[in-house]
Amino acid sequence: MKPAIRIGLPTAIVVILLVVWEIAVRLTHTQGLVPLPSGVVRSGIALTEDGTLMQALASSLERVIIGFAIAAAIGIPIGLAIGTVPLLDRTLRPVLDGLRGVAPIAWIPMAILWLGVRGDAALFVVAYAAVFPFILNTSEAARRIPRSLFHAAESLGASRLLLLRSVVLPGALPFVFTGARIAMAFAWGSIIAAELAIGIKVSTAKRAVAGIGQMMVDTLYVRRDVDALVLYMIVIGIVSFLIDSGLRHAQARLMPWTQQ
Amino acid sequence: MLSWLEPMSGLLVLAGGWQLASIIANNPTLVPPLQTIWAALVDLAHTDLTSDIIASLIHLAGGFGTGAALGLLLALFCARFQLVAVVIDPIAEFLRPISAIAWIPIAILLFGVGQGVPMFLIFYASLFPIFVNALDGIRRVDPTLIRAAEMLGASRRLVVTHIVLPAALPAVFAGARLSLGVGWVAMVAGELVGADTGLGYRIEYFQEFFSMEGVMATIVVVGIVGYVLDALLRLLQASLLRWSPVNGGSR
Amino acid sequence: MDAAMNAPIIRLAAVSKSFQAPRSGGIVEALRDVSLDVRPGEFLSIIGPSGCGKSTLLSLVAGFLPPTSGDIHFDGRQITGPSPERGVMFQDYALFPWRTVIENIEFGPFARGIGRRARRENARQLASLVGLAGFEDRYPHELSGGMRQRCALARLLANEPKVWLMDEPLAAVDLQTRIILQDELLRLWGDGIESCARPTVVFVTHGIDEAVLLADRVVVLARRPGRIKAIIDVDLPRPRAPLRSAPEVARIVEQLWNVIRDEAAMAIAEEGN
Repeated sequence: MKPAIRIGLPTAIVVILLVVWEIAVRLTHTQGLVPLPSGVVRSGIALTEDGTLMQALASSLERVIIGFAIAAAIGIPIGLAIGTVPLLDRTLRPVLDGLRGVAPIAWIPMAILWLGVRGDAALFVVAYAAVFPFILNTSEAARRIPRSLFHAAESLGASRLLLLRSVVLPGALPFVFTGARIAMAFAWGSIIAAELAIGIKVSTAKRAVAGIGQMMVDTLYVRRDVDALVLYMIVIGIVSFLIDSGLRHAQARLMPWTQQ
Repeated sequence: MLSWLEPMSGLLVLAGGWQLASIIANNPTLVPPLQTIWAALVDLAHTDLTSDIIASLIHLAGGFGTGAALGLLLALFCARFQLVAVVIDPIAEFLRPISAIAWIPIAILLFGVGQGVPMFLIFYASLFPIFVNALDGIRRVDPTLIRAAEMLGASRRLVVTHIVLPAALPAVFAGARLSLGVGWVAMVAGELVGADTGLGYRIEYFQEFFSMEGVMATIVVVGIVGYVLDALLRLLQASLLRWSPVNGGSR
Repeated sequence: MDAAMNAPIIRLAAVSKSFQAPRSGGIVEALRDVSLDVRPGEFLSIIGPSGCGKSTLLSLVAGFLPPTSGDIHFDGRQITGPSPERGVMFQDYALFPWRTVIENIEFGPFARGIGRRARRENARQLASLVGLAGFEDRYPHELSGGMRQRCALARLLANEPKVWLMDEPLAAVDLQTRIILQDELLRLWGDGIESCARPTVVFVTHGIDEAVLLADRVVVLARRPGRIKAIIDVDLPRPRAPLRSAPEVARIVEQLWNVIRDEAAMAIAEEGN
């Protein structure tokens, strides 16, 4: 199928839909109740100009990256342990499976109590959400390394630590990277949820630097600006997409033999 | 029987660690001791537990049912009509990385606080994994099987219902298990902020009253129900995919 | 015999088939100018080196592909698509993995809307006929290669087709199973009874000895492009099963081998590159 059609057709349909939407809202005078495409664009320009958007994005992303790093630091070692010691796998796996099913956002009440409202509570939620993909994928990766490699290294006199560093880690890398991709997606998703939940609970005075989640709560409940809300959604969508395709390309570059 | 011992010991370690933390913290609101959590759990069981679980399950069933049905339908259309696939693929690619939870504000805007928000979240969370997996499964159906069916006199509709769909079922199940995991989490999140029934709502309710033991008790229930649901799905998968040399009896 | 018995049940008239090569983009001529009449009730074998278009020819007669030029007629009518009257046995059996043996066998009648009890009963009888009694509720992945092939045959028989189109059906089984299945095939076909009463078989195979043993006529195809090189009559008495080691068979095999020898050697040489 020609690239012209492959790109042109969906674009054309989206554009047509937007135009129809704009006309419909204007004709029925429902702007303010229903998002208006031109209003969304206007919000976007306004919020970028006065810096609100960028600041919110920056603070959300900062928490995401820190939470991601914490999740990696905790998750990878646990995953390695589970993947290489079968006893740990049998004992810890059910517990982890159970914990995994609890929405990270459910921990918000406890997290707020323990860590205060500054932003650390959101951080906890992000780290919690992101740690499981790391654990799961790292343990799976470690398990897939053929026994023979272990035996070879052991017979050459390698210590447990050396084994870990030079056999397990490199072999596990591609899978761990996939885990990192999923973890990043979860992290970004949960920061929105965490900030949403915190934003709803806590009054404006106590809040620290507002992230996108809090901005969305503000727009939804306080200012009731539907256009800005849709704009934030679109920004979230774009960031999600960029993060995911960025990591996918990085994976293709760094580890070309793992192309799916 | 012995196979129970090891998973149990992991749980015991976790519980023991928690109890230790509560003794050290010495603040029942901050880290409620296990006894109070247990008491709250029992209390909950006598009051709202059943209705909460049922409410959450209804949200799950409604959202998952519609999400899976739409996902399958879209997959069938995309497999059949190239033009449809050309339009839908980029939209799906763009929407897929967006977490379901990010849709909460818009869901609240659309549906208000109530049943709609959690159902919409599950619908969204289950749509994509099932669509993507079903499409892949359908595209990978062995064309010889389709020829055999046509040769035996099957109509086009029969080929779809009796050949394509069963052949794609293993892939659909993979997508279903994925969506169940993600969807359950997203749904509880949705109930927490945007609903007035269900387990997520119950967590919020306890939080309002600063009953941390209630929060923990509900969290425990959420974890257990989630685990049971996945186990049930696994059983269903093993039973429906008995014929598959690969999937019959998978983990 | 009256005139109707002599009219060909399948007629190919100047049939050619070309494909577009997926990678190089050029045109591949699979078959060129093939004309052939298949007589009702006969067992026709098609042999040839790899790449001679035997499977393509079978797909055309089955109705899975349209010819690029020329006509194919079945029973006087032009072929427009697959039909239960022209049953096909595939090389990899193509059994539906999610249906049990009995459910596979009854698929044809099921597709035609036959009631459950009638088609179940019919399927059970067929399962017995092909030697699968007791295995009706097994899934294909639990069966051996030979059993799968029998199931595929029973499934085909359920529609009582006038023509059996077989694409190297015995290629994937071991030698002993193959001999047993050949005998069973001949028996089920009606080896030794009047040709008016039995179905027509078009049997594509790699094995020259198999072709000669089973068939009334053997069509030899040349390769690149595929076309008919020779059609040899096998004038041996029926039933054939006892003749497996007869010297007459060996003689005809030798004759055929000489016809295709050079092309076969070329095929092997080219595959090595």
